[in-house]
Amino acid sequence: MTTASDRPSASEGVNRPHSHASKTGKGVGASLRRKEDARFLHGRGRYVGDIAVPGMLEVAFLRSPVAHARLLGVTKPAGAQDRVFLAADLPEIAPIRAVSALPGFRVSEQTALATGKVRHVGEAIAACLASSRAEAEDLAAACEPEFEVLPAISDMLTARAPGVPLIHEHWAENVFLETRREEDLSDLDAVAAAKVTRVLRTSRQSMAPIEGRGVLAEWDTRLEQLVVTTASQQPHVSKTGIAEALGLDEGQVRVIAPDVGGGFGYKAILLPEELVCCALAMRLQRPVRWLEDRLEQLTANANCREHHYIVTAWADREGRLLGCDVDATVDSGAYSSYPFSACLEAAQIGSIFPGPYILPRFRYHTLSACTNKPPILPYRGVARPGVCYAMETTLDALARQLGLSAEAIRAVNLVPKEAMPYRNLVGKHFDSGDYKEALRRAVALVDVPKVRARQAKGECVGVGLASFCEQGAHGTSVYHGWGMPMVPGFEQAQARFTPDGVLELRVGLHSHGQGLETTLAQVAHEILGVDPARVRLVHGDTALTPYSTGTWGSRAMVMAGGAVAEACRQLGERALTIGAALLQAERGEVELAGGTVRRRGGAGIALEEIARTWYRRPQNLPADVDRGGLDVTAGYRPDPDTGTHSYACHAVVARVDVETGAVTLEDYVVVEDGGVLVNPMIVDGQVLGGTAQGIGTALYEEMPYDAQGQPLAGTLADYLLPGATEVPDIRLDHMETPSPWTRFGQKGIGESGAIGPAGAILNAINDALAPLGAEVFDLPATPARVLAAIEAARR
Amino acid sequence: MKRPISLTVNGRAETVLAEPRTHLAGLLREGLRLTGTHIGCEHGVCGACTVEVDGAPARACLLHAGAAEGASVRTVEGFDGDAVMTALREAFSAEHALQCGYCTPGMLVTARDIILRLPDADEARVREELAGNLCRCTGYRGIVRAILRVLAQRRG
Repeated sequence: MTTASDRPSASEGVNRPHSHASKTGKGVGASLRRKEDARFLHGRGRYVGDIAVPGMLEVAFLRSPVAHARLLGVTKPAGAQDRVFLAADLPEIAPIRAVSALPGFRVSEQTALATGKVRHVGEAIAACLASSRAEAEDLAAACEPEFEVLPAISDMLTARAPGVPLIHEHWAENVFLETRREEDLSDLDAVAAAKVTRVLRTSRQSMAPIEGRGVLAEWDTRLEQLVVTTASQQPHVSKTGIAEALGLDEGQVRVIAPDVGGGFGYKAILLPEELVCCALAMRLQRPVRWLEDRLEQLTANANCREHHYIVTAWADREGRLLGCDVDATVDSGAYSSYPFSACLEAAQIGSIFPGPYILPRFRYHTLSACTNKPPILPYRGVARPGVCYAMETTLDALARQLGLSAEAIRAVNLVPKEAMPYRNLVGKHFDSGDYKEALRRAVALVDVPKVRARQAKGECVGVGLASFCEQGAHGTSVYHGWGMPMVPGFEQAQARFTPDGVLELRVGLHSHGQGLETTLAQVAHEILGVDPARVRLVHGDTALTPYSTGTWGSRAMVMAGGAVAEACRQLGERALTIGAALLQAERGEVELAGGTVRRRGGAGIALEEIARTWYRRPQNLPADVDRGGLDVTAGYRPDPDTGTHSYACHAVVARVDVETGAVTLEDYVVVEDGGVLVNPMIVDGQVLGGTAQGIGTALYEEMPYDAQGQPLAGTLADYLLPGATEVPDIRLDHMETPSPWTRFGQKGIGESGAIGPAGAILNAINDALAPLGAEVFDLPATPARVLAAIEAARR
Repeated sequence: MKRPISLTVNGRAETVLAEPRTHLAGLLREGLRLTGTHIGCEHGVCGACTVEVDGAPARACLLHAGAAEGASVRTVEGFDGDAVMTALREAFSAEHALQCGYCTPGMLVTARDIILRLPDADEARVREELAGNLCRCTGYRGIVRAILRVLAQRRG
């Protein structure tokens, strides 16, 4: 691996704009160090597995060893009847029904414990309770389930083959949803200078946060309230889902998400296991805890990214796209998960396939196939990494046919900045940006002539590009059409001063590594001037925070950032009124500056003093003071709310060992535009981490299934995650085109890094293999697949 | 059947009742409530549970509690006042070497071992040494830079 230290890096500030870095170095635009670091660095983080309460029972689940079977019965271990619970023992739990209003969507019913049938390996059948997990596992091992095994649908392409068994027997076929856009493209063959058709597959992945899921459920007898501590990205949505499934009103459910050890989408789902623990805690009046182990996570919950594409694309002589015809299938697994549903991934492919390009004509057909695998969940970028992979490798195939460079074919197709804001043929509304400049910079940062010179000497090395954009923080206008259980609306934040003058912020979404305790304090500082050290963020508790759909869809800084700014603005107005009275000034004569209310150009009174007066010396307030006090809840939504579009170009230099098939990433460059960055250091971290995950998608991560639907990677020695030796020293370059639609011009960017790597890396590999006439089509590009491609070309 | 296991943890003599099949990570977390040692895979790959056992990093999930009888164990909670760990904590924060914090305690124990054992390590060597600690959030760049920063400081 090349690790040249002479290269510029983000922390050295390549082209880093500083237009919004605040004067104090602590507001919007400052790379402020994180407030949350100290507790994590001393082992004082508090994750769900760290919380133990007296009298707690641990749960181990008996899980299905087979992918598809009738469950004829379960014999409980003798003497343990009251510690083993089957579906029939917990009728109070309603099945999870994550519907979509899209026409034709078939609804699955996922019971918290298997009822009648099991539909994937790892499906929970029984909950076994003991005072330790080990003893609970002993109980699970002593249960005797009886199955009538049925043939399994292991390959999504066979889901609607004639004669296959129906996974949900009342359905007409094993399909959640089909979507299509019809357009007759038959004339393009005659006019196009180039046409390619490609068949591509991406692997099923496990998101694999290092902390698994986990839940501790307790019944509070005083409040008559279920208290659920769970590793969740969206505590309020979990609360709604739990209340609905258990027939409680929402006031009877409090969800607490403590520190969350990585999410990436994995923790944005209501789990059957959560419902079981809740029901048991109520039934037994004892605290009940379940902590997912790695085997459960890898086998029962390997649940994302598995796509299949047949793409045909036509281009003119200059490489301009004339049209695309896309047939996409997504393996949605056996059930529709709550709240995102089984079709979010496939149905989205139609609307995001054009990516950052001008596509004049387009036909698509998508299929959400039902298979005997765990239900699909949205992983960082959702369908975009697969779509970007399909589009970007198709563009390179067209370029090869036309004798164009990878840069040239992208440059003629990218939406130009002059066209912004731009609405594409499927209605995506791009807010701002200079996509071509990102491409130009990425190409300039990798040394393309040097790669070409090495290729001329016979080295198997290549360069690859991927351009893409990411819609983030898209709201009501986008989601209501999906008709899912959850539609994001107005994000709310609460801002208040405590009597000692500390500014307390309360938001309903939750951090799982993004550093919101820091970035939202920076937003508050920007508005009120309060030192971020004197700002406390309260989040991760539905009893203490306003409702929110949570942290997903790259929405946190746009939505909560906007809401906190508005709440702080209104709080500032209240403080100004009080301050003016204390200064015996007119309201129009005072301003907020440096954490004080002062007469313009004159002496000030600290916000702390204003807070102290309001709470503890109200005798000093005038009788006509605003009685709302120093406590404000405000809502926010960008206008329009169709989402921001961050964008990027990834450029990769990859070397292929033709003897072993091993791929080495020699250089990796990301040019990215997330609009105004609230904390550039944290954004860099998001982009770097996402890119590392994308490298896993491109080269390593794969959960294979055999024909019987058995998952074949049960440990992290089989399911390969990229380590420090697999991820190169990624170089970042940021552009800054503010979004015209958001509070500070920020754009959602948390998922972006994961989108580009598969396309860029496979393009680099295929560029390296081009002299051999070989090409890799399927992800990940493991040594075996690379060698098979070389071998196929030789034959 | 639980039996008493005596060992030294963070400089204190401790006797803990534990089942023989308990691993050291479980003993530390459940027996002594030292929850800074995190469990990630329980099969020795992810490195989240890395602690110091008799002066060297070890996977607390691969060591049966009984095998730790008489051992001297140091966890992330036991490094206050340690100059190398203090420098690493400062460098991890400065280089944004952590996000969710879950892999961080194991990373720090491994990083401290790298600093002490390989004072001349370059970036490639640091990455190789870190190969047994997985992080899903950071992409490793900040972690590698933090370790290189402390190595450079100590070389003067």
